[in-house]
Amino acid sequence: MKAFAIAVAAAIALGVLAMLALTSSQKFAYQAFATSGARVSEPGTNLVGSKWNGLPVLGEATVEDHDKVKGEASHPKRS
Amino acid sequence: MRRAVTLFSTLVLAATLLAAPGVFAPAQAQSPQQQDGLNPMGTKPTADSVNEEFLFKQADKITGRVSIPDQKSANLIQPQGREYRAFRESWLPWIGALGILGMIGALGAFFMWRGRILTDDTQESGKKILRFNAFERFAHWMTATCFIVLSLSGLNYIFGKRLLMPVIGPEAFGTLAQWAKYSHVYLAWPFMLGVVIMVAVWVKDNIPNRIDWAWIKAGGGFIGHGHPHAERFNAGQKGVFWMVAGFGAAMGVTGLMMLFPFTVLDINGMQVMQVIHALIGVAFIVGILAHIYIGTLGMKGAYDAMGSGEVDLAWARAHHDLWVEKEQAKTLSGPQLKVRHPAPAE
Repeated sequence: MKAFAIAVAAAIALGVLAMLALTSSQKFAYQAFATSGARVSEPGTNLVGSKWNGLPVLGEATVEDHDKVKGEASHPKRS
Repeated sequence: MRRAVTLFSTLVLAATLLAAPGVFAPAQAQSPQQQDGLNPMGTKPTADSVNEEFLFKQADKITGRVSIPDQKSANLIQPQGREYRAFRESWLPWIGALGILGMIGALGAFFMWRGRILTDDTQESGKKILRFNAFERFAHWMTATCFIVLSLSGLNYIFGKRLLMPVIGPEAFGTLAQWAKYSHVYLAWPFMLGVVIMVAVWVKDNIPNRIDWAWIKAGGGFIGHGHPHAERFNAGQKGVFWMVAGFGAAMGVTGLMMLFPFTVLDINGMQVMQVIHALIGVAFIVGILAHIYIGTLGMKGAYDAMGSGEVDLAWARAHHDLWVEKEQAKTLSGPQLKVRHPAPAE
């Protein structure tokens, strides 16, 4: 039982270490693929919209949506 | 006079009408398309233009040119992707369901037929012998717990949207799938480490030999009530070991290709890696289901080997008699509990 508990703890610890190592070497797509001549909008302002329903449409965009379109980073989900 | 003017105007109009077809003929020749859309030369106007069929004779996919760094976005049409999609959306769920449910059904049928494999009591019953030390059990359980999480989160990729989402709804499924994906990606690392440790620790006891062939010919103790001779691991356990080593390596390599997408492979290679990863993953789960069955419900006393590490000496004598003799030869006082390897886990 002791070996099992230590094994589970070690698995979680190694998983967290892997998460930190992998996350530190990752960039968001809008950061990785943007150039001085091409801006890639971040998730939430693309085709699906922040609510994953195709919105915001004209007239329904919020201030936050406008900020995103301008390129100011928010806190999108990592994928 | 007035009549003369009228007559002259009529003549001019008639001459104009007669000459008009000749005047507009050159313009009509420059636009050969007729009202029915056909070229008067007998060919379609787009017959010589570039089409998909022509482009696929030059390469296996159609690409364009882009100015952003992600050159993959220049890929327009790739027919191989349709085959991959057909496999993933049509074949894979059936292969996975038939494989896993088939094994569960087969194990259930075997249990109904054979029942739990028991060990007869002997004079040695009640005495204990160390089968796996703490470090071996640590490596096994770290790999095993990761494998279970990887299996469930992996099956979620195939069956989640079909089975779970209709039950719990898209919002809950989205959250669950996101966390399942995190666990799949991050617990893959301790799993790979565990496979490497287990291979290093147990490979010397898993080299196939003639005793294994005799064990297989005798039915491995599954048929009848006798137990053929076996060393530390019998042929069945060696099969599980090499399955874990081989499938673990294959899952690790294909998984790394997906964890670092397009680092080594192109889009075709990525899709092939996913197909291999999925098929071996299903086979891996099917094989481990049998391993879990025989290690718990299927055989009395087997779980103790990985539970406490110590097994009943009578059980060990029945299932691994050659190993018991070797272990007892190491000590002069019969059953031993001496730890053979350092045990950093405890």
